[in-house]
Amino acid sequence: MKKTLILVSLFLCLALLLGTLPLSACGKPAAEKFLKVGMMTPSTGAAAEKGAPGGDGVRDAIEYINNELGGVNGIPIKLLWRDSGYDASKAATIVKEYMAEGALMFTTHASAEMTWVMELANRAEFPGMATYTAPNIYRPPQHIYGQLPDYGDDWSAFADYYLKNIWKGSGKPRMALHLLNNSTGYGARDAAKALADKMGIEIVAIEEHTATSISETDSLNRIKAAKADVLYISSTPKPTALIVKNARELGMFPAMTIGSGHAGLTKALVDLAGADVAEGVYGVFPTVSWGDNVPGMAKIVEYAQKLHPADVGNLDYLSCWSAALTVAEILKTTLETTSYDVLAKGNVESWRAIEKNGIQKLNYDAAGLHGPAKYVEGDNRLAKSVRVLQVKSGQIVPVSNWVDAPVVKYEEYSWFGN
Amino acid sequence: MSLPCGTRNYTYADDMAIMRTRTHQVLFIVFLVLLFTAPYYLGNYWLGVVNLIGITLIAALGLNLLMGYCGQLSIGHAGFIAVGAYTTAVLTGRFELPFLVGLLGAGLMAGLVGLIFGLPSIRVKGFYLAITTIAAQIIIIWVINHWSLTGGFVGIKVPYASIGGLVFRSESSQFYLIMTIAALCTFCAKNLARTRVGRAFIAVRDNDLAAEVMGINLLYYKLLAFFIGCFLAGIAGALLAHWIGYMQTEQFSLTESILYVGMIIIGGLGTTLGPILGVVFIRLLQQVLATQIVPFLEETMTFLPSGFATGIGPMIFGLAIILFLIIEPRGMAHRWNLFKSAYHLWPFSY
Repeated sequence: MKKTLILVSLFLCLALLLGTLPLSACGKPAAEKFLKVGMMTPSTGAAAEKGAPGGDGVRDAIEYINNELGGVNGIPIKLLWRDSGYDASKAATIVKEYMAEGALMFTTHASAEMTWVMELANRAEFPGMATYTAPNIYRPPQHIYGQLPDYGDDWSAFADYYLKNIWKGSGKPRMALHLLNNSTGYGARDAAKALADKMGIEIVAIEEHTATSISETDSLNRIKAAKADVLYISSTPKPTALIVKNARELGMFPAMTIGSGHAGLTKALVDLAGADVAEGVYGVFPTVSWGDNVPGMAKIVEYAQKLHPADVGNLDYLSCWSAALTVAEILKTTLETTSYDVLAKGNVESWRAIEKNGIQKLNYDAAGLHGPAKYVEGDNRLAKSVRVLQVKSGQIVPVSNWVDAPVVKYEEYSWFGN
Repeated sequence: MSLPCGTRNYTYADDMAIMRTRTHQVLFIVFLVLLFTAPYYLGNYWLGVVNLIGITLIAALGLNLLMGYCGQLSIGHAGFIAVGAYTTAVLTGRFELPFLVGLLGAGLMAGLVGLIFGLPSIRVKGFYLAITTIAAQIIIIWVINHWSLTGGFVGIKVPYASIGGLVFRSESSQFYLIMTIAALCTFCAKNLARTRVGRAFIAVRDNDLAAEVMGINLLYYKLLAFFIGCFLAGIAGALLAHWIGYMQTEQFSLTESILYVGMIIIGGLGTTLGPILGVVFIRLLQQVLATQIVPFLEETMTFLPSGFATGIGPMIFGLAIILFLIIEPRGMAHRWNLFKSAYHLWPFSY
């Protein structure tokens, strides 16, 4: 009986908690007009180290937009932020909630989140934008857009830079790929498959590694035997650091150039490999770094220091802050040609307006935080540029201006998705 | 099963009936009416949640037959769900076969894969068997990632479910499809547990040596449990694939497998009601935390360190599970039975 009482009490407490939650909003004056958007981040779960600062970034940016910029054309943005927990079924129900709540568009932080929900959104014509992207999200282009370039774009931008600025030999440079065994690695592989020949690069070795690899000397010996001039790594910081370290030990680096995709080129790479070991490694990244002298930086620093000091210096915070700014710009662009009444409906008519009059007419400088975000027909990537950077004296410094990555129509290749 | 005061069974059929009193029948009909009219009073979001509950329930029923009734510990259930999901994706997406072929194919393929990975159950049991099922999940996911037919790491698109000319596009039409199959699976699972096969499963679970001495073929019944459990997982996977529309292996993580085990333990192992209660409880808790409590906490508790308020969500989730296991280790179904017993005797305490 005691147990029953405890259980009944527990249920009552939970019911009371849930029942009073909606009441908490009753005391607040209801805004007459608002623009509803849904933004999800994997703030808990397997990708929480990226998602938690990302979630802080979108919430802080929306607060900044509403408080300091007065919303969009004077209309506040109502943010439906949700933590997907990096869980596919939860992400699916979140997108269904966004659609049911009449959100005008939605964003995801991780490319995996968007992969899980994109078909639901495409079927309903509900426009979405992913901060981190993979080609399968928008190839062929439908209703999902990429805020930043994908891992394939990293490869093509680096390859272009390498050919123009580093390669001094004759004939085709011999390139080896070292790929993490997931979409991070395979995105780069797909781009190399599609473009290497056209660009005049010979792929001489493709090696795969796991996120928990403890030695890559065997794979590097095979790359050495293939006489590669340049090694491109598309992976996360830990395996990238290991490969660079092993390459140093085998005497391959710095004689051979090493480049890294943006998933691996963070401060963590330098910390894990050591500044001396990582010295000279090239890489690409789609956003500016913290503290760079660009118009949008001051507010990011101010808000992060004020609201989430632990996120200062975090690039996920910066990317997601920028995602919120891009969403605001999309809404602003839409309102130039569409009445608020259409957007207030929050249905397929509003979604079509957002896509046609907002996203597809976007021409935004992103406050200098990343390359310009502009829609080009047939290419659902909004920002297309990355910068090439290099580790110099323990710091990751830019060595190029923004480099545009060409659009690749992956769906035209029979091997794509196979 | 106890009956209300003054109620007696007079025939064998009365004794074996699932619905044994008039109140039982009326309540069941009311429940069915409420369930199947849900699209008229639930919005699309909540219908989506109910659909997810229906799909999860089918998979949990399979795991319950395997673990709860036959005692074969499996921590790779998400892997078998993946087999079903990818089978229907390939059959209906790549080969353009009808949905029903995809659905049955998914069940059969997952059942066959379950049979293969169930073979070690002849030699090992308990935690050792659990490890082999974890291996099954790892192998299944690796194969899917490296097989060109399944789309590899990129994933694979799945068309809408359709039967004849009827395409299940809307959330409500999907609801009727999923709920019909879920109801059918629940009915079959309930009845299977009362047959010779079900009793053999229970005998194997309680003491496999004694069961063998009594003439129960361990190899046959253990593999049968794996086949049926994984068949249902495959059906759930197929429905999930058509509901979400795109499959990628990251959707079928080990965490998901463990969550399934958690659901049937919280609901009550070895009962048909257990998986229903466990699935409803866990899925609703997840949704309420994600859409209500965590955003509310993030909005109001800004003084907390970064990520702390968000982290409260999983903490509440974990705490609820721990409390259930401490207070009612035999699951919600057991507590429900205690409540019913008390109610049957009412107003007499003893």
